[in-house]
Amino acid sequence: MIKRFFIDTYNLLLGLFTVFKHSFKKRVTEEYPEHKPELTKRFRGKHKWDANKCCACKSCEKVCPAGAITVDKSEQGLSFKIDLKKCIFCGNCMYYCPKNAINMTENFELATDKKDDLIIAINSFNSDTDSNIIENE
Amino acid sequence: MNYLYFWYIDILAKHNIPEIFGDITFPILPFCIIAAAIILVVLFLVLLERKILALFTQRKGPNRVGLWGLLQTCADAIKLLTKQNVDIKGSDRFLFNVAPIVVFVPAMLLWGLIPYSSEFEFMGFSVTIILFIAIASLPVIGIILAGYASNNKYSLIGAIRSAAQIISYELPMTFVILSIVLLASSMNLKDIVLAQISVPPVLGWFAIPCFIGFIIMFICAVAELNRCPFDLPEAESELVAGYNTEYSGMRFALFFLGEYTMLFVMCLFMATIFFGGFLPLTGKYISEMCFTNSEFLQVFIYFEQAIWLFLKTLILVVLVMLVRASYPRLNSASLMKFSWKFLLPLSILNFIVIMIFKYIQDGGAI
Repeated sequence: MIKRFFIDTYNLLLGLFTVFKHSFKKRVTEEYPEHKPELTKRFRGKHKWDANKCCACKSCEKVCPAGAITVDKSEQGLSFKIDLKKCIFCGNCMYYCPKNAINMTENFELATDKKDDLIIAINSFNSDTDSNIIENE
Repeated sequence: MNYLYFWYIDILAKHNIPEIFGDITFPILPFCIIAAAIILVVLFLVLLERKILALFTQRKGPNRVGLWGLLQTCADAIKLLTKQNVDIKGSDRFLFNVAPIVVFVPAMLLWGLIPYSSEFEFMGFSVTIILFIAIASLPVIGIILAGYASNNKYSLIGAIRSAAQIISYELPMTFVILSIVLLASSMNLKDIVLAQISVPPVLGWFAIPCFIGFIIMFICAVAELNRCPFDLPEAESELVAGYNTEYSGMRFALFFLGEYTMLFVMCLFMATIFFGGFLPLTGKYISEMCFTNSEFLQVFIYFEQAIWLFLKTLILVVLVMLVRASYPRLNSASLMKFSWKFLLPLSILNFIVIMIFKYIQDGGAI
């Protein structure tokens, strides 16, 4: 019983010491809006579509498990539409694209006020858009 | 205390107010000092606890409100004050309102018993330590009242647990305090502090002959404060929040205030009886070395004594928080077993050992 008592006391003190040691280690808290977290190399965020590379093969549309992507080829040019509400960010569209036209950026800040903001439609011919690439903003 | 009294009478005399008025209104002054000190200390303690828990778990803690999150607790207090006081259907209205006051007032009273410096104590009479034990066990009545009046099974179970816990941990604590009274041959807290004076400064502390007693006292204090790992009355996973489940707004704030006030005053008490209270670690007062020829030397020494006491108390508070960060909660049965089967015999043994120690120290004379 006395041996048990000493073992227990040792364990309790060891616990205290282990917790105390944590105070000298680096903090793991990330102060998010000021300091962005470090993302991994293959992080899958918002999509980026390059109209010049796209050949309208529609393979991205077919492999998308959520049915979020629509690609259209009309006489005017190419149009790409993605519904980020449906998208599960699996990255299949990026892997199956034969021309590397779709890439996934590190932008993960997708919160908006309206649902419609999450449906992103982009044309290669529309003069309203400055570039034919879906940029971060 | 006399200094404060004469200062007050002097000020009244300057304005031609009779002395009898000063005699009657004087107790208001210590009350105001204690009330202001409690608010400041509790605001500081809550922030300290959150920061220190964050430190031990590798987090940053509150850092948004004010510089380094210093105003976080003020913001919390304002939030609590503006919240609605909900009246519970089927509750005992009168007891429901009285319970937080019964918890808070004893905790506030205890502050008056501690000697902050060799001349500054609010209530100085011969048996302060007995009064301390008596008042320290009063908040349990408020907790029982809160549990009963809430008309809620979780509150009632929490209150019953708390009562059982506090009563069973009171006994070993009293035995340890008895051994301290034996060592100091006095029941006055100031005399107990003065009995710890020794020529190499630290060696006279009662924590050295009564080290086991200190450990027992520390465990009992943590248990009486209902803190981790003895926070069964407030166990979130079993009872929603224990006896203060139904409380909100200012009433809850009073419970909260009472809890942290008790924490600080218990640590003050332990620092007083085990770690030499207001006695300096250095042996000689620092202000005695710095201001040798100042006419306010005595005043400086009183302030320095209070600072020494608060430093020792802070270390104990941090220790309590370290314990909270480290250990998981005990279960109800082993809590009782630990007190009655282990701590109580050990404290009686400690008492006997201290008796023999005192007998030898006094050279065999009784």
